Amino acid sequence: MQRVRVRRMAGHLILMVACGLCLIPLYWMLRSAVSTNGDIFSPSLQFFPSRLEWSNFAQAWRAEPFAIFFFNSFASNAAIVACQLVTSALAAYSLVFVEYRFKQAVFFVMLIGMMVPMQATFIPIYNLLSVVHLINTYGALILPFVGSAFGVFLLRQAFSAIPKEMVRAARVDGANEFYILWKIVLPNAKPALTTLLLLNFVYHYNALFWPLIATNSTNMRVIPVALSYFLSQDAGQGLQWNLMMAADVFSVVPVLLLFLVGQRYFVQGVASLSNKG
Amino acid sequence: MIAPYLVFVAVFVIGPLVYVAVLSTYRWNLLSPRPVEVGFRNYVYLWNSSVFRESVSNSLLLAIGMFVFSLPLGFFFAVLLNMKLRGTVIYRSILFSSYVIPLTASGLVFTLLLNTHDGLLNRVLEQFGLQPIDWLGSSHDALWSVLMVSVWQYVGYYMLIFLAGLQNVPESLLDACRVDGGSRWRTLWHVTLPCISPNVFFAIVVCLIQSFQTFDQVYVMTGGGPDNATSTLTYYLFNKGFQMVDIGPAAAASVVLLVILALLSFLQMSLGRRWVVDEF
Repeated sequence: MQRVRVRRMAGHLILMVACGLCLIPLYWMLRSAVSTNGDIFSPSLQFFPSRLEWSNFAQAWRAEPFAIFFFNSFASNAAIVACQLVTSALAAYSLVFVEYRFKQAVFFVMLIGMMVPMQATFIPIYNLLSVVHLINTYGALILPFVGSAFGVFLLRQAFSAIPKEMVRAARVDGANEFYILWKIVLPNAKPALTTLLLLNFVYHYNALFWPLIATNSTNMRVIPVALSYFLSQDAGQGLQWNLMMAADVFSVVPVLLLFLVGQRYFVQGVASLSNKG
Repeated sequence: MIAPYLVFVAVFVIGPLVYVAVLSTYRWNLLSPRPVEVGFRNYVYLWNSSVFRESVSNSLLLAIGMFVFSLPLGFFFAVLLNMKLRGTVIYRSILFSSYVIPLTASGLVFTLLLNTHDGLLNRVLEQFGLQPIDWLGSSHDALWSVLMVSVWQYVGYYMLIFLAGLQNVPESLLDACRVDGGSRWRTLWHVTLPCISPNVFFAIVVCLIQSFQTFDQVYVMTGGGPDNATSTLTYYLFNKGFQMVDIGPAAAASVVLLVILALLSFLQMSLGRRWVVDEF
């Protein structure tokens, strides 16, 4: 029994050290956000700021139109996730509950959708959207992501667990497919829908690559793009790293909050994907 | 009902896929009225371009680094979490939390942490009497810095993948091993690992694919520098296709990226079936 206790103590110890290391960048972000620039670049190691400068947040917020950036991020990502929920639910329903030929082919197409990253196809997508004059609009931010292969996979898995008899019985009663999806299938798949919503919202909130390409005016920037520009904007005024980190802090707060509120959905999302192999 | 999704895939995945392959045989800078056909010359150009070769090898090195560091570390943490210690939920949340933070934001914090003169890491090294390292400025160390951010960002994600598998390993099987006198390590190697082989396989493939898409932290931390030492395949694509508007070679590089990812996915599907032990 002694050995078991030693082992458990060692486990605690290692996990605590790991968590500590993991939190250092977050702590450093917060610590630098409330420091003076002098403290950040002081000649001696300052693990704690010598003076708390809470006004940094207000200053960073005013340095650039962050209210607009947040609105852009929230609006475009809410639209993306809403569209993904609709297209994924419809596709998953058809894959699970509707019989038709070529299902294998459809499944294969889905796999391709999952495999091809935006980074490899951004040139044609940019050309396409500029032909229809959507570059630098919400349309450009939203349209390339209205479908999600991950979403179809996740919902297909959840729908498969719903007894087919329920759907069959409803059909016998004369219900149409959309009614069945809305009234019977979706209410039984709420955890998967929440998982999809949270995971994909966070994923798209964090995305830098496409918004960087698809938008070019200050008023269309989303949060990651705004952060990536903050440094170069400020360069003339001697790199105000404290304001930079203050901006970092309020950019990170929404996703961390979502994670804290819905963490079991995040865990479920990762688990359900990986256990299928 | 599947139509909306299929339309989406056709317009934003398959169409661009075909178009990018076609573009890779043209030379075009969007300003000239029409693209000029050049056959496979863009691919020859890439082959001879030292920047492109460096970008591909950096991407490969990052993938290897992630494979060597973050996967075993993630597995180790998962085993520890699976000991069902008190406070496991808290440990798990903290270790996973870095995954939900935008890479852009973490890239900026790491830029500060890795600052040569005033960064925390070098200050700590100094305390131990070591020489400060030019983390982002030297072509020798900059790729390590990029890797450090990736490991920090993703290790919690791999941990969850492994943990999901570990929680499915039947307790009875482990007990049987213990009764038969199997040592801890042998049980881990011969029983636990085969049981979670689907998860291991999934983690490896996701890890490799993610590594090949490394962009955000490179963009904010080093801009691909110094001297292309941290330029990745994706960064090359961005630079060539978007900033220099040299569409032909960029499209050809896209095709190279797609081929690599296709090979990896093919590996996942075909080898996965052979290696992965499904029944236990």
